[in-house]
Amino acid sequence: MEPRRDLFKSSSNSLLLCLLEQQPMYGYQVVKELETRSQGYFKFKEGTLYPALHRLEKSGLITGKWQMLSNGRQRRYYHITAKGQAKLVLEKTQWLDFFTAVSLILQTERASI
Amino acid sequence: MTSELAQYLESIRSSAKLENSDESGVMSELEAHIQDKLQELTESGLTKEEAVRTCLGQMGSTKLVARQIYEAYSQGSWKQVLLASMPHLLFGLLFILNWWQYPGWLWLVLVLILATTIYGWSHGKPTWIFSWLGYSLIPVLTVGLLLLYIPKGWSLLLLPVYFPLALWWLFRIIIQTTRRDWLFSSLMLLPLPIITGWFLAVSPSGKITEYSLQRVYYFAPWIGLSFIALALTIAAFIRLRQRWLRVSLLATSGLMTLSLVVYYTAEHLNILTFFGLILVMWGVLLVPPLLERYLRSGRKISWRHRDTPGTSFRGTA
Repeated sequence: MEPRRDLFKSSSNSLLLCLLEQQPMYGYQVVKELETRSQGYFKFKEGTLYPALHRLEKSGLITGKWQMLSNGRQRRYYHITAKGQAKLVLEKTQWLDFFTAVSLILQTERASI
Repeated sequence: MTSELAQYLESIRSSAKLENSDESGVMSELEAHIQDKLQELTESGLTKEEAVRTCLGQMGSTKLVARQIYEAYSQGSWKQVLLASMPHLLFGLLFILNWWQYPGWLWLVLVLILATTIYGWSHGKPTWIFSWLGYSLIPVLTVGLLLLYIPKGWSLLLLPVYFPLALWWLFRIIIQTTRRDWLFSSLMLLPLPIITGWFLAVSPSGKITEYSLQRVYYFAPWIGLSFIALALTIAAFIRLRQRWLRVSLLATSGLMTLSLVVYYTAEHLNILTFFGLILVMWGVLLVPPLLERYLRSGRKISWRHRDTPGTSFRGTA
């Protein structure tokens, strides 16, 4: 099943921050990680990842740095900032609270059926 | 890189309308992503053509990617808001505080406008420069007006030189601005119909007399108000992200400010002049996009490989 657009939209910042908290990544790596960790649930038009990353960068939540590889190619690695980490903690709490509340209601409904 | 991929990147580049300082980095990043993707697809056994087709399909349409890049970069900071609305505010204050009567203030504002415009133009043409650029055309118009006051023989001699030169200068600026983004040309030219409207209201003959100066004094608060309205429009324009909202804002605000001019000068502007001004305003809004289309059609793909560096990520299908 594919994720609902609005759900995905509202969670995209948290997902990106969460991935970058674990290690700095470049765009293509982010796409692969999201796909692998969500077992193929999160699939999107890959070109639209960059506007999302750049918005986070403009907000000061992440920073991007070009790095030269041994094969001569360059990649832009994104790192989470202290501001981004603080934001992620807040968003994680909000998501968990929301998830718990929704689960409680769904479980109650299921039990009453 | 195949021509199909080069075209894809060029299409995004031309539609995203980024500042020069951002463009290279963004495009290099997209290109690096495409190279990684192609490598993975060809290693999985696809032919080059199949890999390119699959890659482009998974990247998303150029329209979608360019729109999202535009929206990620279009919003200006509050500092840019202040800088962009400054020339309109200065002119607004000149009239509201009646400082327009003192040549010293007029000269100061004109010098400030020219200096800021030259500085911005030679420093990468940031977004805020385009509202200053429109006012920097005022000295050119002033020279034209002054030509009306010199002896007739000289006038006849100089006008054929002045008009082609002034038009060449104007078109050169419009074309260069339109190459960056037609919306900035409209932004730059927005005060033109409003200034023309006030000028015709205070001086229908085209000559500045004692009587027309009295009329400026009489209309000064409203002239100032129309410039303040323009300043607010520019401030909102800089903060808006969506392109369609920016276009709507310029169209609505331009026509409303022009209506304000016409309303307060109803006795002095005849119906023909009114429709003429409306036409000029529509020209300001419609000619730049047509010009951009024309310029683009004559342009070859400029994006080349550089050494430097289903569902969209925002949830749009």
